[in-house]
Amino acid sequence: MTRLPVPRLFLALAMVLAAIYLFPLYWMYATSLKGQSEIFANPPTFWPRDPDPSIYPETWERRSMGRFLWNSLVIGTGVTALTVLLGTGCAYVLARYRSAWVDLGLFAILMLQVLPASVMITPLYVGFNQLGLLSYPRTAVILAAAGKAIPFYIVLVRATFMNVPRELEEAALVDGNSRWGAFFFIVLPLARNGILVLAILTFMQAFGEYIYAKSIITTQAYQPASVGLSGFLGPNSTDWNGIMAYAAIYVTPIVAIFVILQRRIVAGLTSGALK
Amino acid sequence: MTPQIEIASVDKHYGAYHALKDINLTIPRGAFTALVGPSGCGKSTLLRSIAGLESITSGNLRIAGTEMSGVPPRKRDVAMVFQSYALYPHMNVLGNLTYSLRFKGFNKEQARKKADEVAQVIGLTELLERYPRELSGGQRQRVAMGRAIICEPKAFLFDEPLSNLDAALRVHMRMEIRALHDRLGATSVYVTHDQVEAMTMADHVVVMRAGVIEQQGAPLELYDNPANKFVAGFIGSPAMNFLDATVAEDGRSARLEIAGKPVLPLARTLQPGREVTVGLRPEHLRIDTAAPRLQVPVRVVESTGSLTYSTTETEPELMIVEQGRGRYRAGETLPLTIAPEDIHLFDPTSGTAL
Ligand SMILES: Nc1ncnc2c1ncn2[C@@H]1O[C@H](COP(=O)(O)OP(=O)(O)O)[C@@H](O)[C@H]1O
Ligand SMILES: [Mg+2]
Repeated sequence: MTRLPVPRLFLALAMVLAAIYLFPLYWMYATSLKGQSEIFANPPTFWPRDPDPSIYPETWERRSMGRFLWNSLVIGTGVTALTVLLGTGCAYVLARYRSAWVDLGLFAILMLQVLPASVMITPLYVGFNQLGLLSYPRTAVILAAAGKAIPFYIVLVRATFMNVPRELEEAALVDGNSRWGAFFFIVLPLARNGILVLAILTFMQAFGEYIYAKSIITTQAYQPASVGLSGFLGPNSTDWNGIMAYAAIYVTPIVAIFVILQRRIVAGLTSGALK
Repeated sequence: MTPQIEIASVDKHYGAYHALKDINLTIPRGAFTALVGPSGCGKSTLLRSIAGLESITSGNLRIAGTEMSGVPPRKRDVAMVFQSYALYPHMNVLGNLTYSLRFKGFNKEQARKKADEVAQVIGLTELLERYPRELSGGQRQRVAMGRAIICEPKAFLFDEPLSNLDAALRVHMRMEIRALHDRLGATSVYVTHDQVEAMTMADHVVVMRAGVIEQQGAPLELYDNPANKFVAGFIGSPAMNFLDATVAEDGRSARLEIAGKPVLPLARTLQPGREVTVGLRPEHLRIDTAAPRLQVPVRVVESTGSLTYSTTETEPELMIVEQGRGRYRAGETLPLTIAPEDIHLFDPTSGTAL
């Protein structure tokens, strides 16, 4: 009986933390529906007195959000595709071969992970300029952001591959597979959950990418929603419900995707592919 | 007839490490061959070289007369049963069994038919829809066997397939695997570190140590005529007793270097004064009250009811196995004798049998 309160205590603590983390999200939705004067009311109202959803289509139009979100989608998809394509093979090799070179490679990869984007951007900008890549600004951002995402992806997907017993692959080879066949039919399906989770994380990260896009993409037509949002914000910003409506439109699809896929991922993990 | 597997002067290096040293082994069709030796001696490496999972550094390896250098595992037409069973976790038993058939041009119905046949043979019919995680250790072992036999390979390669099972099941599966081998007329290579498994299952036992084949032959041939001290000590349970001794003046007996310096008559003549290592199997040392050759104090007596194991107080200590319950207790003196032809003699430096 003495042990019973402890899990409850942790549960309560978790709920409080979740509430603290989720409050800004709620506040964003609430503020977007308030009128100009209500936003600045003191004490603040927790529920909009007179919810006005017309701000959503209005902001979508005025801020040409369709174009911004499309650019975000292009960048997010590009980064994810590039990361999964290159990172998966790389992680597999690093999981299967052991040598001093592999250790060195891993160390280098972890070092890359340490360097922040704001440090990388200047040399990248100069390099891209030399290569003429700045004429294709979204491609340039995809390359830069993928370069940032791949190390993280490799390190974690490698761990997933290391959980797939080597003997399974060898059994597949003896059963009649080529190396490629064993990889695609045995190893990949067993590492699928890990790859899926990391692909989603990579996408969400790239969908919200800001630093590279802000610095590299100067043409507004190619800017993603993150940069578009920053154009809204300034020292004299007053259009708070517009900003919040923009943020809500931007964030809601990501939150929705995460909630939907997270259920699938958890289900996939608990059904236990291995052992 | 060409042998099913021919291994000639095979060497294998892992970087600087010499894992297989000049291996020569011929396995006739239909034979059950056991590779046995202590852990790390290279048994698995040799087996995996046959499967093509390891490349050999030099030498020749032929399967059914075809040279295998550069041939990938899938083209060698062998099947392997792994120690961990290596069942595909994302496929059910049917999927596991039929996986190899998809590379051999079987369609779905043919594969299903074949799987049903195999399931019948190894008693898995009820379990075809289950996933590996829903099976017991013994059932997984059977699936691994089924997966091997379904494609009717040129050779079965087993890597310690029974070591994850409990003792009773292990003894049972020993017989089953051997029976299956006979029924299929298969050629099998069986790796184990357990000499009892090797001795009971195989027609031909290959004893390895540190990458070298120490001796190969029929199981009882190895038991009766071990080529050296290592094989003598490895084959047989409990292990052979070894004692330093000197050949006596008559050349036909040996004086043992234990307390009392007892003298044992030998079955042949050696140079007087020569130092030898004498090997006495625990089951060959008999209790003989009439004319004991050596009298040794007993330190520990352990009995299973059918057999009694006595360990002596001497230096080095001796192990004696008696049928039935022991007549002597700890602290008493055992009067022992041994037939001259049961005494094994080894060179003390090289360890080779004399
Ligand atoms: N991939 C490898 N790289 C380096 N050494 C290895 C490798 N595989 C096995 N070895 C070494 O070769 C020796 C024989 O291994 P193995 O054939 O697995 O032994 P066992 O007889 O126990 O099956 C061991 O000493 C092992 O450390
Ligand atoms: Mg082994």
